[in-house]
Amino acid sequence: MEPPNLYPVKLYVYDLSKGLARRLSPIMLGKQLEGIWHTSIVVHKDEFFFGSGGISSCPPGGTLLGPPDSVVDVGSTEVTEEIFLEYLSSLGESLFRGEAYNLFEHNCNTFSNEVAQFLTGRKIPSYITDLPSEVLSTKAMGPGLEQPKPQDQQVSAQRKQDKAIPPST
Amino acid sequence: MAQAREEAGDSQLVSGREPPSRIIRVSLKTPQDCQEFMLAENSSIHHFKKQISKRLHCDTDRLVLIFTGKILRDQDILSQRGILDGTTVHLVVRTRVKGTQPGPGALPGPTGHCAHRSEPSTSESAGVLARLGRLAQGSPDLADLLGQLAQLLMVAPEAVVQLSEDPMVQGLVSEKLANASHVSESSKPVHKPELALKVLENLQNLAQSPELLQADKWGLEALKAVPGGDNATHPVCSDIQHLMLSTLASLAASKGHGPSSEPSRGGANPHSSTNTTTTIVPTAAAPARPLAQEVRAGVIAQVRGMVSNQANSGCRTGTSDLNSGQDLSSQESQQPIGKATPASQLRTSPSALCRALHVLQQNPALLRQLVTDSPLRHHMPLLPILTNPQALQALIQIEKGLQILSREVPGLGPCLWGPGRPHGARGAPETRGGGQGHRADPVQPTLAVLQLLRALAHACPQSTQSSLPSCPLADSCYQQELEHLKAMGFANRDANLQALVATGGDIHAAIERLLGVSEA
Repeated sequence: MEPPNLYPVKLYVYDLSKGLARRLSPIMLGKQLEGIWHTSIVVHKDEFFFGSGGISSCPPGGTLLGPPDSVVDVGSTEVTEEIFLEYLSSLGESLFRGEAYNLFEHNCNTFSNEVAQFLTGRKIPSYITDLPSEVLSTKAMGPGLEQPKPQDQQVSAQRKQDKAIPPST
Repeated sequence: MAQAREEAGDSQLVSGREPPSRIIRVSLKTPQDCQEFMLAENSSIHHFKKQISKRLHCDTDRLVLIFTGKILRDQDILSQRGILDGTTVHLVVRTRVKGTQPGPGALPGPTGHCAHRSEPSTSESAGVLARLGRLAQGSPDLADLLGQLAQLLMVAPEAVVQLSEDPMVQGLVSEKLANASHVSESSKPVHKPELALKVLENLQNLAQSPELLQADKWGLEALKAVPGGDNATHPVCSDIQHLMLSTLASLAASKGHGPSSEPSRGGANPHSSTNTTTTIVPTAAAPARPLAQEVRAGVIAQVRGMVSNQANSGCRTGTSDLNSGQDLSSQESQQPIGKATPASQLRTSPSALCRALHVLQQNPALLRQLVTDSPLRHHMPLLPILTNPQALQALIQIEKGLQILSREVPGLGPCLWGPGRPHGARGAPETRGGGQGHRADPVQPTLAVLQLLRALAHACPQSTQSSLPSCPLADSCYQQELEHLKAMGFANRDANLQALVATGGDIHAAIERLLGVSEA
């Protein structure tokens, strides 16, 4: 039988802060953040990402963020475009509906991670998926960035904040 | 090896003849959930699929198993493919026939989501329209601008929104979408055309709204002589809508559906209640280009990420599509939605559509004005909106929505959403903004609006006066309120006045409005 086609899968990484996070985070948060990462998966010549409007797609680099700050090669996949789109539509109805979007817990990077695993079995770099917990663990930003969402979220953030308060300043 | 030979292609697990293969636990992950299966590690994929189909009650033919990016063939053995204990295999259940998506019902789900835009009457808009029309007649210079304004008002933002909220409209939309035929092309742009079409549908329905048309007619008649370009009153507004629809269709078309040239008018007509639309379409071809372009840009901008890219690429590439603007309306009738659940995509963005509608209203007017091909999207039609307090209100609400939107999606927020400070636009004067900040940035609409206001003011001071407050007496009516607001520190008199007019003189509401906008 013929060898199946392999399609490259890339992860586009955007720094939403455009460098500001790297410069200002030590001051503002007390820890170094390299960036505020927004990611999307590029496969089959399209860029797919998740936002509060649900799963969206565009030509690679076609969002208003412009070209990505970095591109990570996730691997290759045999999944055809057709199957992939079916998968996406199922996701869009179940796990990744627009209203499911949560800035910390269930965001674009969650989606990228999920899709990357589906396509290649690999996860996206941990520095991206760890970002929310990094941010939430700082006492300065944690409560500030808290979304007005379920109680438990706020409670956990509060707990994190309490833990993060240094014994002496 | 022996066992491999025996197992290969065999769905039966043979045990006892060779050392029993281990039973492993394999997780099966679907978009909906994750289930576990206990299987022998040397069982075949075919066997696995059978188990799955038993549990999920679907055909094995529709199952697609993926592991580490590879599609698993029936004859493969689990262990050969590296599927060990505790690993996760992904599953996609294919729909049997390509394209027949059950999309429909879910669409109109959140019909009332954009309910916050419940603003009143087209009749008010029409009234203002008529007034402006009369003014326009007095000054040919203004004619053009007012023409735009009129047309913008025709689309009557509130009415549009209201209608879009109308469950019936939603139902119509969903119904149409349900009947969508499959798109043979790549279904990549599936999200975008769906949205575009939905907006299209909304607009269509709006076009069918007699009330709206009434307003249009009224205003159009008032302006008929002035704009000079159009002879028909009625058709003009429907024309605009039609053009918008065409634009949206072109939007869909340009993104991979391929503008299938069809007797578009024939197709589009049934959707539009006005027969005159047919005749208008050809005449509208010229303005259609920039109109569609802008509209598309506007729609896209509104519909956030999904179509945002198209604003960039679509506009450029879409010009050619626009040429066949008429054909595109056929697209719309054709409902090139393609597979992949229009429902899910659209269901999540009724408010986005409302916003899209708003932008649509905004765009066409200016597009008319800017018949030049320059996609000066940022020179947005905020002028007409500003001159109409109702429209202004809608604009403010849009902006609020946009702000919320930008908060929700941080990445897209600052980039996408410009309109931030309407009272900045109103109050702040000199910026003949054209030159300043020609990036699609927050400053943009403000400056553009200012510019337009300026032009309007220069052209005809009296019309400006009456335009802005939309009521010559507003000034004196709200003198006291204005004083109050000023005393409270709201220095922007124009903004105050607008707020007062919008809230009908209710100071508290006006304050809230001012605060709401300023903090947005």
